[in-house]
Amino acid sequence: MRDAGLSIVGDTAPGFPARQGYGTRAYGNTSPGTPLARWLLMRPDGRVTIFAGKVEYGQNIRTGLAVEVADELRMPLSAVDVVLGDTDQTPWDMGTFGSQSTARVGLQLRMAAATAREALLELASQRLDLPREDLVMRDGSVASNADPGRAFTYGQLVDGQTIEREIDEEVALTKERDFTVMGSDVRRIDAQARVTGRAVYAQDVLRPGMLFARILRGPSFGARLVEVDASAAEHMPGMVSVVRDGDLVAVLADDDESADRALSVIQATWEGGARGSKIDIPGILAETKRDPVAVQETGDVDEAFRHADHILEATYYAPHVSTLPMEPRAAVAEWDGDKLTVWAGAQRPFGLRTELAGMFRVPESDVSVISMEIGGGFGTKSWYPTGAEAAKLARIAGRPVRVAYTRQEDATEGTFRPAALIEIKSAFGTDGTITAWQCEAIHAGPMGYIAQRGAQTPYAVRDVAVHVYCANTLVRVGSYRSLGAAANHFARESHVDEIASTIGLDPFELRMRNLSDARYRSVLEAAASRFGWQSGVPPTNRGVGLSIGEDVGSYVASCVELAVEGREIRVRRVVTAIDCGLVVNPEGVRNQVEGSTVMGLGGALYEAIEIGEGSILNTSLSRYQVPRITDSPEIEVVLTGDPGAPSTGAGEPGLVTVAPAVANAVFDSTGQRVRELPLKRQLR
Amino acid sequence: MALRVNGEEREAPNPRRNLLSYLRYDLGLTGTKYGCGEGLCGACTVLVDGQPLRSCMSNVGAVAGGSITTIEGVGTNGSLHTVQQAFIEESAMQCGYCIPGFIMAAIGLLEREPRPSRDTVRQALSSNLCRCGTYLRIERAVIRAAGGPR
Ligand code: FES
Ligand code: FES
Repeated sequence: MRDAGLSIVGDTAPGFPARQGYGTRAYGNTSPGTPLARWLLMRPDGRVTIFAGKVEYGQNIRTGLAVEVADELRMPLSAVDVVLGDTDQTPWDMGTFGSQSTARVGLQLRMAAATAREALLELASQRLDLPREDLVMRDGSVASNADPGRAFTYGQLVDGQTIEREIDEEVALTKERDFTVMGSDVRRIDAQARVTGRAVYAQDVLRPGMLFARILRGPSFGARLVEVDASAAEHMPGMVSVVRDGDLVAVLADDDESADRALSVIQATWEGGARGSKIDIPGILAETKRDPVAVQETGDVDEAFRHADHILEATYYAPHVSTLPMEPRAAVAEWDGDKLTVWAGAQRPFGLRTELAGMFRVPESDVSVISMEIGGGFGTKSWYPTGAEAAKLARIAGRPVRVAYTRQEDATEGTFRPAALIEIKSAFGTDGTITAWQCEAIHAGPMGYIAQRGAQTPYAVRDVAVHVYCANTLVRVGSYRSLGAAANHFARESHVDEIASTIGLDPFELRMRNLSDARYRSVLEAAASRFGWQSGVPPTNRGVGLSIGEDVGSYVASCVELAVEGREIRVRRVVTAIDCGLVVNPEGVRNQVEGSTVMGLGGALYEAIEIGEGSILNTSLSRYQVPRITDSPEIEVVLTGDPGAPSTGAGEPGLVTVAPAVANAVFDSTGQRVRELPLKRQLR
Repeated sequence: MALRVNGEEREAPNPRRNLLSYLRYDLGLTGTKYGCGEGLCGACTVLVDGQPLRSCMSNVGAVAGGSITTIEGVGTNGSLHTVQQAFIEESAMQCGYCIPGFIMAAIGLLEREPRPSRDTVRQALSSNLCRCGTYLRIERAVIRAAGGPR
């Protein structure tokens, strides 16, 4: 049944070529076989609901999308409701990775809202018997220009009707100068739910009759289960059953603590698995590098090296780090006959649905995945095995089952940022002109796209050869705020600083001398000027450093001030300029850049996982240091984007410049060039 | 065994029941979060007789007779507590998962010290973790709730 009011429908996966293997045309709230999904519903009560398959993990997408729609529709933000990441209600979506696809969904919703605006104008024109030029829309009503007393609210216009319109891709979007909500500092529309504890995360989903599960985990990577003796668990209070399904062994209990206790008395015998306490990850990367991809190749680097004034070669290393969102993964699964519902914190609800449908051989239309508020994603929650575990156990138990990872489990069963070993060789003149750039970047794991991100050099160098490689990995690698860009930027921007110090040129000057791209130049100038960067000041115990970067289409530059006391590095101030095109919500962008800065400091200063005896040794927060409020420097964010340029991501770029700027500031302060992260461990 | 939770008398059947589990799964007060279960992140912070406590490290018996306040019990009759309001005004949140714990710790701090310095705020909140890195805003929110810097 169609909902009363005005529905705006459109291509369910805008920006994707149709039928490209994603099955984009038969997903989401689209009925199978029809190409169109509903994006917007104007209800008779005058409220508008928008639908998007994206999820909210703190990046403020809910507010961002609502703002765009409120502006296009000339209505208050408070009258906009947003439904996200629910496979029954929203258009199909590939997943929320803070990438371009988010901007594309925003554009789709803007077009849907503009289409609705035109439809409302038409309705009003009939009702008021006035030509459209004589009408004015504001604050959720359409009024006569000449006689503002003659007006209808949007609710009145759609009341009693069920209208469906298709998105008009040619519709005129609101000009920036007419924005009232967009571009102003708006508070999150979900702020109240967050400060009152009413925001519901996957960890918080409780269903009637639900069982609490704990899953048996192996002692080391790759260990195989040989034998399980669960007899001691079977008669414990609160225990319901011990389930074994292939490699999945779990206890199901009436409450969480009974499940914990039962799990602890299960005797299991394991075989094989990784061993050895001395694990040389850089060595593994160098030995197993494969699948080279030429990211950038121009001119002839060998020739350029033959004629160089100066040549510099250095190797940089970034370790695996734990993504560590504050909310460990959790999922609740419930079967109703052959229909399955899973509540999860997955960044790819539709991907999880496909996986579940395949696993249980049921049509996707019988599987619902509802993504809850996500307590931190940073990319790692694209990997969400919890959903399938809960669904399997619920199927066997015939009752709803909750699988909620412990902190340690979330670390070991989650994903890590790929370790990367990056060799750079450059040639440059005495005046600082870089004449050749050769970079070989090896990133752990099988995903080449991770390694490629941010590997190119932005400097105007004639002869360039940049290759990236995959390599073996002991741990599961995955997305992490900015993927491989953090490591690639650390290597490149450290190296550029080394060039500057080799010839005694100020790092800012050196970069400006080699940059031709206007957007890079302007963010660097903006950051340096806000920071008060002074060229050629000899180092004191106050170190300063800078770096530039680009990620997901946004340009960034950071300047850092710090003090080194023994092996302590106190970062005092970070200024980051970001050009992410049109800024929908400046407050949101600043918040994201501040957060990326803090996260980036963790990776720069002290974060790294330790592997020994085939497992991760520091999964507990007692052994894995993350930034605290007492570590947080002053952070200033300068927005330099051109509002005429399309919006690009703001959630990740702020991280890529942090580690190199800090490393460069450590060099400035101590004269020590640390080429390996985390810096604190390497400091002499 | 009796205790008060957000002003209501509650019977707790088992004194050894973990306090965080009791609040979340027995009473359904899921605003208090699980972040580590080891007393290391502060997501589970509640107030017991006005003092912040990591509920994951405690059990029902240990707080028997006490008065417990969770995030759901903060503010009165639908109006927000000044600390909650200040978090909204400073946009002191991203994913929000850590926020109830920070708010409870901040309320506990302001109870003891109504006009804390920046440093005092930082020290008092130094073992609450926010992986989204909203620390500066949290600090500003607490100072704002206290009526400005001392
Ligand atoms: S959950 Fe209690 S301190 Fe982390
Ligand atoms: S807001 Fe996400 S952990 Fe603090």
